[in-house]
Amino acid sequence: MKTISLYVDKGTILNKIAPESKIWYVIAAISIPALMGIRWAGIGMIAVSAVLLLYGKVLRRTLPFLGVSGFVLLTVLIIQGMFWWGNETPLFALGPAVFYVEGLRYALGILINIINILMSFCVLILTTKPSDMMENFVRRGFSPRFGYVFISVFQIIPQMTDTMSTITDAQRSRGMETEGSLAVRIKAFIPLIVPVIMSSLINTKERALALEVRGFNSRKKKTFLNEEVKTAADRYIQIALPVLILAAAIWRITQWLA
Amino acid sequence: MAGIIIEHLKYKYPGTDRLALNDISLSIEEGEFVGIIGRNESGKSSLCQAVAGLIPSFYKGAYGGKVLIGDLEVKKVPVDELCETVGIVFQNPFNQVTGAKATVYEEIAFGLENMGIPKDEMISRIDGAMELLDISRYRDRYPFDLSGGQMQRMAIAGVIAMQPRVIILDEPTSQLDPQGRDEVFQAVQNLCSQGITIILVEHNMEKIAQYSNRVILLDDGRLIDFDSPQRIFSRGDLDQYGVEAPVYTQICKRLGHKMEDTGCYPVTLEEAKTVLRQRKGG
Amino acid sequence: MAIIELKDLHFSYTAEEEVINGMNFIIDDRSTAIIGQNGAGKTTFAKLLKGLLKPTKGEILLNGRSTKDMTVAMLAKKVGMVFQNPNDQIFKYQVLDEVMFGPLQIGMDKAAARRNAEEALESVALSGLETTNPYDLGLSVRKLVAVASILAMDTEIILFDEPTIAQDYAGKERLKEIVRKLRSQGKTVITITHDMNFVADVFERTIVFASGKKIADDDTKSVFLKKDILERAYLEQPDVMKISTELGWQESFLTIDEFVGAIKR
Repeated sequence: MKTISLYVDKGTILNKIAPESKIWYVIAAISIPALMGIRWAGIGMIAVSAVLLLYGKVLRRTLPFLGVSGFVLLTVLIIQGMFWWGNETPLFALGPAVFYVEGLRYALGILINIINILMSFCVLILTTKPSDMMENFVRRGFSPRFGYVFISVFQIIPQMTDTMSTITDAQRSRGMETEGSLAVRIKAFIPLIVPVIMSSLINTKERALALEVRGFNSRKKKTFLNEEVKTAADRYIQIALPVLILAAAIWRITQWLA
Repeated sequence: MAGIIIEHLKYKYPGTDRLALNDISLSIEEGEFVGIIGRNESGKSSLCQAVAGLIPSFYKGAYGGKVLIGDLEVKKVPVDELCETVGIVFQNPFNQVTGAKATVYEEIAFGLENMGIPKDEMISRIDGAMELLDISRYRDRYPFDLSGGQMQRMAIAGVIAMQPRVIILDEPTSQLDPQGRDEVFQAVQNLCSQGITIILVEHNMEKIAQYSNRVILLDDGRLIDFDSPQRIFSRGDLDQYGVEAPVYTQICKRLGHKMEDTGCYPVTLEEAKTVLRQRKGG
Repeated sequence: MAIIELKDLHFSYTAEEEVINGMNFIIDDRSTAIIGQNGAGKTTFAKLLKGLLKPTKGEILLNGRSTKDMTVAMLAKKVGMVFQNPNDQIFKYQVLDEVMFGPLQIGMDKAAARRNAEEALESVALSGLETTNPYDLGLSVRKLVAVASILAMDTEIILFDEPTIAQDYAGKERLKEIVRKLRSQGKTVITITHDMNFVADVFERTIVFASGKKIADDDTKSVFLKKDILERAYLEQPDVMKISTELGWQESFLTIDEFVGAIKR
């Protein structure tokens, strides 16, 4: 199965609960630490996400995301550690580079926030079938056309990369160089890109016709083959999470008032 | 009644001077299997699109005359309603996959969901369509992983599930290998035996002769003839219209062997065998 | 005349499954059709011959020299390949420029490229369309533009991938003529196709592929007489041949002319 979707069905509870519950989880994971304003809350959420990902058997698939963002986060740590405006107390020095407590503490806050957001989104994306997620939105009143575009991209782009490799083959077969210096690559650009555009325009037109004759633009109220699954767990989650968010907000207000 | 009546149909694509369809009148009985032949650009696809209502709803341009399916006038019905009466299948199976569904089963449901068909009915229609096209065993496969013949049958199933009374197929097998082609023809014949009217464009004249009840011959947007395959392929002026008769017909023409009952040349392998056996044996 | 020799040719994309599974044969000056089901390895063979893929084991020798030692650009001067879908290559605004692109890429000067392009367009009967935008033409005509764009490169070997798809009677006749003409010019012509009538009409030799192996290789008529082989490869006889087979005649015929000639005799 060739798709750029990140979802894999591991048959765990996380795959079975409704997309909406997981969307609530993302909202809660981001808003609770933000509302509470305590660093430990963020770290706690990260730990919860990590447990969920482990439980959902997708923790390993999360690592590439952390790896890519880890590089960015490292630069944040270095830059803020050295240059943050409030830096006062030196912590350690690497040669001429001096790192300050305040800057590192500030960077750590950013780090926790980003990792938290990233991991909670992983809980949603890695365990939810894209079409289920979209159907969930369409049921809540989103435009089916928007939904279609969102979903089809996951499947049609991998198909387009096949077309692109055929086009490259066809042009190389006529003696065109595609590898080598920048000049060679620039020269190869037009012969490669024009067929890509033309063939995707042609294919898109054909696909549009095929969709049209299957009632894509129908104004009737859409029905769904797959029932919306809402287990007892979903009902519980979809009450508990908003309550927790609310509790965090109230807690924060009482802190202010105190 | 779902016969098709075409009256003085004329059509010109936007920005062109030539009539793609030039005063075509004909009528097709319900349940007929009709082949369309003619050279490239003779109007075969345009005629298909006009019967399916894509001309003039999707392709604009100058339009005259009428296409009636039963008592529906095609031009006056929006395509999203028309698809419950007439379905169309295109050449490239690949471009007919919606790309929004993870399994064959869900893919076939796509049109039904759009039409707001209740779930129970949806399931029975999908099961029926898969059985008719002999693809039930691919039910849980990823649509893009199917072979060409399987994918094309899935596309036909997606159209059939809408329960149209007419199905138009515009060169449905030209991209397929011989096995895929035979699978599709088998499936289409199956549809015809269920009483669905079939209109099929195909370059393979042997297949046209084998399956069609009647054949439409087009040239330069005009209807040249509409008759039984035997009479169409017995015409002496076919090369003038850029088509050739099935090889069986060509051989018998050259040998001057006609069928005794119809006075026409044979068009299928079976007919040619009968004639040649008689001649050679006698 | 070019000689193509396959020596224990293997190819696989993944470790589990071989797409080309040990092929040995020589392609000589006879026009050769390669037939077989989708997935039999036909297109992979074409890509190997063009150097677009490298053999995982074994080699292809072109006039005695291994294609492993040649780049795709070097091979472009020797082997021309017409791809199945013309939309995968056409990018110029005018037919003539499109047809001249290949010849210019392989180092022909402009005058020679133009001369070849005009000649090629004539042989596909498209003279007069030089300044037309290829995308204003129908798919079947556009495909003939792609054919011309390869013919104009004047390579020793020409390889067609499913040339008859979407062609009507006139287009098919035109392609048959092109094959005959190339053959008479001493070029090596190879086609990959599902169109058995096309094979019967113009190809002298036929090779059958199944699951990455060569399962038959002989003059066309002999191959089509091997019913068990055809069944194994999910192929069928050309239509003319079906008649004599079905009637159980001793003699069988590939083409209409042959059939009619024999009956009249």
